[in-house]
Amino acid sequence: MSAFFELSGVTKNFGGVQAVSKMTFSMEKGELAGLMGPNGAGKTTIFNLVTGVYDPDEGSILFKGENLVPLKTYQVTARGVARTFQNLRLFQRSTVLENVMTAAQHHVPYSFVEGITHLGRWRSGENAIREKSMALLDRVGLADRAEQAAGTLPYGHQRRLEIARALALDPELLLLDEPAAGMNAEEVTSLNVLIREIHRDFGLTTLVIEHHMDLVMEICPHIICMNFGAKIAEGTPDEIQNHPEVLKAYLGEEEDE
Amino acid sequence: MRADLRSPSSIRERGDPSLATLIQQVINGLSLGSVYALIAVGYSLVYSILLFSNFAHGGFLVIGGYICYGTLRAFGTGIWMSGVLALAGAGLAAVLTERLAYRPIRERTNVTLYLLIASMGMSIVIENIFVIVAGGRFRALPPVIPTAPVNLMGLATTSAFDLLSLVSAVVFLGALQLFLSKTRWGLAIRAAAYDLRTAGLMGVNVNLLISIVFFVAGALAAVGGIFLSVRYTLYPQLGAITIKAFVAAVIGGLGSLPGAVVGSLILGLAEMLTAGFISSQMRDLVVFSLLVITLLVKPTGLFGKSVSEKV
Amino acid sequence: MSGYTEGIIILLCINAIAAMGVSLLTGFTGIFSLGHAAYMALGAYTTAILTVQHGIHWLPAILLGGVVAVAVAYFIGVPTLKLMGDYYAIASIGLGEAIRLILENWQSVTRGARGYPGIDPYTTLPVALAFFVVLAAFMFNLINSRFGRACKACRDDYIASSLLGFHTARIRVLSLMISAFYCGVSGALLGGFLSFIQPVMFDMLKSTELTAVVVFGGLGSMSGSILGTAVITLVTELFRPISQYRMLIYGAVLVVIMVLRPEGIMGNREFLSWVKAPFRRRA
Repeated sequence: MSAFFELSGVTKNFGGVQAVSKMTFSMEKGELAGLMGPNGAGKTTIFNLVTGVYDPDEGSILFKGENLVPLKTYQVTARGVARTFQNLRLFQRSTVLENVMTAAQHHVPYSFVEGITHLGRWRSGENAIREKSMALLDRVGLADRAEQAAGTLPYGHQRRLEIARALALDPELLLLDEPAAGMNAEEVTSLNVLIREIHRDFGLTTLVIEHHMDLVMEICPHIICMNFGAKIAEGTPDEIQNHPEVLKAYLGEEEDE
Repeated sequence: MRADLRSPSSIRERGDPSLATLIQQVINGLSLGSVYALIAVGYSLVYSILLFSNFAHGGFLVIGGYICYGTLRAFGTGIWMSGVLALAGAGLAAVLTERLAYRPIRERTNVTLYLLIASMGMSIVIENIFVIVAGGRFRALPPVIPTAPVNLMGLATTSAFDLLSLVSAVVFLGALQLFLSKTRWGLAIRAAAYDLRTAGLMGVNVNLLISIVFFVAGALAAVGGIFLSVRYTLYPQLGAITIKAFVAAVIGGLGSLPGAVVGSLILGLAEMLTAGFISSQMRDLVVFSLLVITLLVKPTGLFGKSVSEKV
Repeated sequence: MSGYTEGIIILLCINAIAAMGVSLLTGFTGIFSLGHAAYMALGAYTTAILTVQHGIHWLPAILLGGVVAVAVAYFIGVPTLKLMGDYYAIASIGLGEAIRLILENWQSVTRGARGYPGIDPYTTLPVALAFFVVLAAFMFNLINSRFGRACKACRDDYIASSLLGFHTARIRVLSLMISAFYCGVSGALLGGFLSFIQPVMFDMLKSTELTAVVVFGGLGSMSGSILGTAVITLVTELFRPISQYRMLIYGAVLVVIMVLRPEGIMGNREFLSWVKAPFRRRA
């Protein structure tokens, strides 16, 4: 029986540059894992390959037994995969609430005709979308800023909003791309707590890309380490910390970064 | 009389007139195409740096035409002087347009939609300034550019004008090529076309570079404008012909200068061959069909680079 | 009410309907089109031919005019909407011009560049107002529904939208089709107002006017587009004696707004709070 989420031999070249090379790892359902590696190791490319932004040159990406490779991005999302972005991709001009509602609306359908006439399931649908979104905002601590324009939020809050928006898709696999980027030590700690709570409460299989050794080592019992597009180590935080390849990759970098 | 284009031998069998027409239309097409090239290259140059379509480009063309006409009529200066004034004037107008309309937007936001809309607005403003100031009459340039018929080795006749516009285009585009490959600013422009921000970080004065690019684009458009006003007479809406240069630039690949030239020649030939062998009305339709086909089959054109966003 | 005032109001309704269509496409879905007058032309000519040559009643004829515009939009839109930004703008100019050229040259059907006279003046004040009110209601409802959010998502971040599960290509096409319907109906009503239509009435000038109105009112505000229409239609009437300056003013308006206040008059706000969220609960 195959794992819940599995990459096999995934390879991606960009015009001569090998961004990802024969990447293989798997996750069980409900796991919280970390994907680590220095800048340019190919971590975000993995996310892009999984979500269908790029097509791999080789290899397969199995999710719940189905190969995601031939699917388009919106189809991958429909299968239950959600992600956040390294450089934040919020809808800046919309409000905090609208950002989440835009994602939440997928699971509360009403027809086009009901939409233009505001009859039928429109009212109940909109209420349900709104309630679900507010609940999620509450979860990440942004409920009081619901009507604010997303672009005016402080940076740390924008990152939380993206997480809330991804959660609104009711995903089964959550991909977080450097959720702690740009945060100070205190913010990272509270983010740690948030990710752990979400993982526990929603039972979500979660894969976190992070540069911050602190975050990943502390909360992820399963870590995959990459460099130059290939896997160099995989295991528990203890195993990774002492792995010679990992130390070589991060040589020169401060541990408290 | 329709020419049979199926096989060369059948043309020869039918006698010289068809071949003559073919040669004539090919030269016509190349001549027209070379004028389009002057306009398209300037437009593509701006696109390659700023990644937006300057819809006001046609305005520079018109400015060039009117300055040339105005100085010829009012001051009786020769074509050379008028030409230089027209180029300088159009170039200056281009720089001003960029300073007044585009730079403030560029500095505040990176939404190209705003630049597109502003360029559309500038295009209308320039055209209508001339409508109001110069009136909508069609004006013929004084006959300072020779248009006498020239006999080509007995195969066909063409006009000196066509040959002249071809030669001028080659000269100007050649000068541009030299500028881009042999001068420091040319190198800076090529670097900026690759990555504007990095060029700035490398110490290039980005604002000055953009002004230079606009000046060059405006000057080239002016040359095109002068030739177009001889061919079609001068009127404020002459700038509307720029849409064909846009099409040429797209066919060749937005942002690629060789592409703009190739696309322009293809377009000029297509237009003239259609006009000569099918009908004049179908000309424009053929132009837009080529556009649609290009966009459907290979939107980046023949030589264009596809700019993909980093996710 | 004098005939003149009536005429202004009818014209306002006609222009506002087209403006709403363009607003949805450009302001809400982020697709910059400069060929939208072509859809007005399609609607106008379809309805004119149906009413004059086939004796069909104006109401179904107007709706059919809209449908024809939608059909053409679909066939053009599906392949071309894959293009983004500038590419689509240029394509839209080309397509708009191509349609106008076809109308000008297809003399047997459209009577060519000289125009199509003798259209029954079915666009009376009640008719114009009725169409406006109904179409406005649908449009405001639309933008305040999941479809409206989907459009805005495509506008604000195309890539993120597809990664949030939106079939962006389909949303863009749908937005184009709806805007084409509105423009088609507007064109049909215009024909019934002037009793005469000509291809040159639907050239790039008209397309630019439509975009100018939406930009002026605020990209992303439907109320702003209607307000912008009102302002520009009235200003046009007032300045009729110096109409040669009209285009100059349009162009200047576009530039000035983009430089000074790109969010236009209304930004992305709407007039009445009921449009925004009728059941807002203070959490």
